[in-house]
Amino acid sequence: MTDHLVLDGVTRRFGSHTALDDVSFTLAAGSICGLLGRNGAGKTTLLSLIAGQDLPSAGTIHVNGHSPFEHAPTLAGINLVRDNQRYPDDFTVGNVLSIAPRFLPHWDADFAKRLVAGFRVPLNQSVKKFSRGQLSAVAIVLGLASRAPLTLMDEPYLGLDVNARRYFHEALVRDVAEHPRTVILSTHHVEESESLFDRVLIVDSGRILLNADIDEIPEIAFTVSGRDDAIRELTAGLDVLRLHTVPGLASATIRGSADDAFLVRAEAVGARIQGVSVADLVTAFGSESAAEAVAA
Amino acid sequence: MTVLGTPAQTRTPEASDVTSNFNSSSSSTKGPAMNPVLAVTQLHLTRKRMTFGVPVLYVGVVAVLSILISLIAWRAGSQPGSTGWIVSSRSNPGLVWALGGFLGYMGVSSTATTFRFAITLGATRRAFTLGTLLWNLVIASYLAVVLTVLAALELATNHWFVGFYIFDIAILGNGNLPATFAIVLLGVLAMLTVAGVFGAAWIRFSNRGPILLGIGIGLVIVVAVLILVPQAAQIVAAFEPWWLAIAAGVAIIAASLGSWRLLRRAIIR
Amino acid sequence: MFTGTTPLFQQLATRLADDIVSGTYPEESAVPSATDLAVFFDLNPATASKGVNLLVEQGALYKKRGIGIFVAPGARELLLAQRRDRLRADFVEPLVREARLLGLRPAEIERLVRDTLAKEPS
Repeated sequence: MTDHLVLDGVTRRFGSHTALDDVSFTLAAGSICGLLGRNGAGKTTLLSLIAGQDLPSAGTIHVNGHSPFEHAPTLAGINLVRDNQRYPDDFTVGNVLSIAPRFLPHWDADFAKRLVAGFRVPLNQSVKKFSRGQLSAVAIVLGLASRAPLTLMDEPYLGLDVNARRYFHEALVRDVAEHPRTVILSTHHVEESESLFDRVLIVDSGRILLNADIDEIPEIAFTVSGRDDAIRELTAGLDVLRLHTVPGLASATIRGSADDAFLVRAEAVGARIQGVSVADLVTAFGSESAAEAVAA
Repeated sequence: MTVLGTPAQTRTPEASDVTSNFNSSSSSTKGPAMNPVLAVTQLHLTRKRMTFGVPVLYVGVVAVLSILISLIAWRAGSQPGSTGWIVSSRSNPGLVWALGGFLGYMGVSSTATTFRFAITLGATRRAFTLGTLLWNLVIASYLAVVLTVLAALELATNHWFVGFYIFDIAILGNGNLPATFAIVLLGVLAMLTVAGVFGAAWIRFSNRGPILLGIGIGLVIVVAVLILVPQAAQIVAAFEPWWLAIAAGVAIIAASLGSWRLLRRAIIR
Repeated sequence: MFTGTTPLFQQLATRLADDIVSGTYPEESAVPSATDLAVFFDLNPATASKGVNLLVEQGALYKKRGIGIFVAPGARELLLAQRRDRLRADFVEPLVREARLLGLRPAEIERLVRDTLAKEPS
């Protein structure tokens, strides 16, 4: 089977700013993939390019073997509502629900109505007057009810309260289980959504730093913490992604897995070894590039 | 775990299900829900009040103002039906300013604000350009019908029984109904498409787009005037109304091609 | 809901196994579908399927096509046997390690276990 989504050497520059820098990766169909990274890491740019809303400065993007830009059959299978989505003047959610089926071939009108009720979004009020959370809810309704084989969700959590977030997760998980498709969900709130993903893409400063199955995470890195001098000595020569210190104490996130020799050495100096969560990895990769940027 | 009741849904998705369902759903994506160009037209038409209500409201306001002006003239001594009365009533340009201003605003804003949402819904830029042009044609035809019917009513009622010239006016063809229809159709379409290019320039180059486009069009007009000024007298003498129809047609075609050129590779920022 | 760094599908399988052992799901009774489990615990549907399938492979659960997933006959005994096998590694060895760290002598460790046994009503 060919890969669903293939990016090859994708670079996107805006003037002198490089938002994406030589990004290449592939993604198989049928996954809920977390696109994770700090604000400004390049997540929205990446999603825009995949959705054919933007053009790369260099490189190619293929969805099911086609470049999505201006390719109607491919665009019909992709949905992206951006975090700063604009609607026509005076548009209401009622207007959105009435026009969506004209464009979206997989649209489920009943599901859309249920979602609107579930999020308690007002139907007849101008979208322009919506709060941040309500705008996010409208974006989620469009994204989920589109049932697009490639659904891209850009920061869906912005402004959502706890109830709405909970409702979103239930709707997403159930609907994707019943109507399998590929979802790429970008967020900088990793803890809230970590358990939903079967795959994670970590972006920082316009580069993909990790593209891994969720079950591979424990093998990607680990942390070791203890007295700062001991940790420095212990981690010398290792690939330290992030070193966090206060006077007397240090915690290092190290790429790879701890071998037996390391375990023995760590035990000898009273250092503690722990696995990493996805959130730890995002923090570690984010700070690594930040350190590089400072050094450069 | 004990909180869970009897499962309502007993089907379990398997890895193989995921792939096969995905493939079956992606194979059904051959065509959009409806013709993508018509879908864009319908997207514009979703704003019904803006499309069908507001322009007629403007026509109504101009009509009321025309009546008031006629009443003032009447009180000032002018006699309905007199030659002076007819000439001055028929030369009222109010409709052009009122409707023109609104159509200009609508042409810019509909392109500028609807483009992003159309792209979000998966429309191609080509479908958006053609669908917007079709929507412009719908408004132009609608207003042409409305104004032609009003002019016909005015003629049939012997100018509203009192001699008011509201729609039987110079800019609408002096009561020649086919001319009224053609003038409104071409005039509105030209207005909307030209405004649409400015919207497209804004989408493509943000704020500096419409400014540069305005300066460019202004320069072309100035240069054309400079070239033609020596023959101005002959041109005015030879002028035929159908020249305006040709000019409108050229403006509509140029504006539509310009919009397409600007939007073809426009991105969402 | 689930934490730590053990893969989530294993945590889900462990939790289901706990509930089978404790009798929440008697043998031959239905367990929630993978979809319902995914929704309930905020899990990826594939992760939930993987967790359920782990117990299916071990023979603790079985699938009736188109109906659902059920606790296999003898599942409780099977899971209990697995746990007995793991008792030493999971609990006794850490206990001994910790006791040694605290400087307890073998006799003291034995007495600790006997005392605890005496206090716990059987």
